[in-house]
Amino acid sequence: MKNKYNIQELLDYLQNSEDKDLNFDEEAIFANYQKDDGNQSLAIKILSVFGGILASFAFLGFLFIAGLYNSDIGLVAFGGIFIAVSIWVNKEYDKIIVETVSVSFFIIGFILLGFGCDQLKMNENFISIIFIIVAVGSLSIVQNYILSFVSILIINGSILTLIISNKGYDLTHLYVSSIALTMNYVFLKEAKIITTNNTLSKLYNPVKTGLIFSFLSGLVILGKKGILPVSLDYIWLSSIIIIYLIVYLISNLFNILSISETRHKIGIYIFTILTLLPTALSPAISGAILLILLSFLVNYKTGLVLGIASFIYFISQYYYDLNFTLLTKSILLFSTGVLFIALYLFTNKKLTANEKV
Amino acid sequence: MQREDIHLISRHSNLTEQAVEKALIKYVYNKKEKWQKFLLLLFISFGVGFMVSGIVFFFAYNWVNLHKFVKIGLVEGVLIATTILVLLPKLSISIRKIILTGASFLVGVLFAVFGQIYQTGANAYDFFLGWTVFVTLWVLISNFTPLWLLYLVLINTTFILYAQQVAKDWTAVFVCTFLFIINTSFLISAISFGKKQIPNWFLNIVSLASTSYATIGVVIGIFDNYQTAFLILILLTAIVFTLGIWHGIKTKSGFYLSVIPFSFIIIVSALLIQISDGGMMFLLVSLFIIASVTLTIKNLIDTQKKWANEK
Repeated sequence: MKNKYNIQELLDYLQNSEDKDLNFDEEAIFANYQKDDGNQSLAIKILSVFGGILASFAFLGFLFIAGLYNSDIGLVAFGGIFIAVSIWVNKEYDKIIVETVSVSFFIIGFILLGFGCDQLKMNENFISIIFIIVAVGSLSIVQNYILSFVSILIINGSILTLIISNKGYDLTHLYVSSIALTMNYVFLKEAKIITTNNTLSKLYNPVKTGLIFSFLSGLVILGKKGILPVSLDYIWLSSIIIIYLIVYLISNLFNILSISETRHKIGIYIFTILTLLPTALSPAISGAILLILLSFLVNYKTGLVLGIASFIYFISQYYYDLNFTLLTKSILLFSTGVLFIALYLFTNKKLTANEKV
Repeated sequence: MQREDIHLISRHSNLTEQAVEKALIKYVYNKKEKWQKFLLLLFISFGVGFMVSGIVFFFAYNWVNLHKFVKIGLVEGVLIATTILVLLPKLSISIRKIILTGASFLVGVLFAVFGQIYQTGANAYDFFLGWTVFVTLWVLISNFTPLWLLYLVLINTTFILYAQQVAKDWTAVFVCTFLFIINTSFLISAISFGKKQIPNWFLNIVSLASTSYATIGVVIGIFDNYQTAFLILILLTAIVFTLGIWHGIKTKSGFYLSVIPFSFIIIVSALLIQISDGGMMFLLVSLFIIASVTLTIKNLIDTQKKWANEK
């Protein structure tokens, strides 16, 4: 959180850096910094999400013990009311304090709604579509961080449920690829998205985090053998998109690292593709690499940590599942290691040579 | 200037896309030097990581034609070679630390191969004990945080395996109490002797581990039969939690001020359910969690505001 002095300094800088005259609504900016959610720390976000989940579990316990889960219409009605109250509370009291209340009500509302629809013998497709509509509706009404984050997760979870309940397992590739593309766009076009309008600007951070989690859950399905019978025939589909995105990202990196010689560029492209090719059968690995690079590019620490953790997990999963003998795997791993050390030595030499010039 | 500031200001001004882009690049995004450092670190970590796992897989393959002397000799040869690399003054200090971390994993491989040959099993506690003991010097000398983390994981694993394999009569509460004591002592010594040079992520992981042991232990104790260890655990937990809150306020860390109350909320909820597990109690617990988490967050925000104004 910043105090008044810092904010003024900041505005002055922006004013000076721009040629044309800028209009700041200084009052609104100061008011926002004074307000609770000026700069929520990660701790608060995690606290309200976990608190919400825990409270919802306890409520679920109450529901089962009290035997209230039998009345179908009642459940649907209460679910609707809970979600509505949660959105209303958030809209009316735009303060961090009501966060846990509204998150708990939101999650409980969806649970009730799901149970109710199930009691009414609706099929899963219908329930998923209702969930998606309600979540999208809530996104358009309130753009609060936690609620939007949960909504994004609900939307993606419902899409996955649709895929699973209709046995369209190979559509997972389409799902993962489209999230990868969206995620890439959201990461790289930050300035464009947040200046489009205020709704998008508020949605930006929760959607980004929500997309990362959805992307990783899609990767887990592709990366861990046996979760879903995803056929191997189309596995390259996701890989091609993800590898393409990594190569595209690297072309962006050339500017940052001031690499201009075509010879070097082609060399780096070939090297990247050659290293990524062995992972073509496991889009999860290249997906994690994509997440690491994207997060580092825009300096997004949560994404970076998630990326590194999932990379380690997917690599071990890959070698665990691979149908080779341990000896072949050992040689594969060892040579990859040698390759990276060579790369390190090469880059290090280049960099120190540049410094000397 | 941080990302949130730019977002907020852009929302209440007519800043153009280009201006926002420029501000983001200047203040938020990583620049050339950071990228170079990051890539180098990434390459060397991948390199050492993959090579060591390649070696692990090689010995896991358990080549029957390989005589046991050759097997152990091979691991020791690689181990000696990597350790010599660490002694080369030409390499930068952080690279040498990464290589030493790789070598510490090789010590584990050595013990695993030993266990393979003499059939002691791969998860025997003495395997982890040996591993722990023989990397101790390296951990102390290198003072490299990831290596410290490995060390702590090894100590925890050794103890848990010992409790499972040898001391089968120890109760879950006692095991949790002991683990709580180990991790907390580590944390307290890291904070007091670390001269503020220990990265926060390490301290946070250790305190998360120690809070989790305390929470799990107390919750099990609440539902279990009475035992002396439970009394000690409650007493220690109360002292450590108070110390933790005090430390959190002193160092202006929101982490301790959220983890400790959250653990406390779980403990109280468990206590409530122990009193009665009827439907109304669950409703009450649900309301209690919402109210207490809200209170914690409010308190946290107020404190953070106070800190911001003090600056």
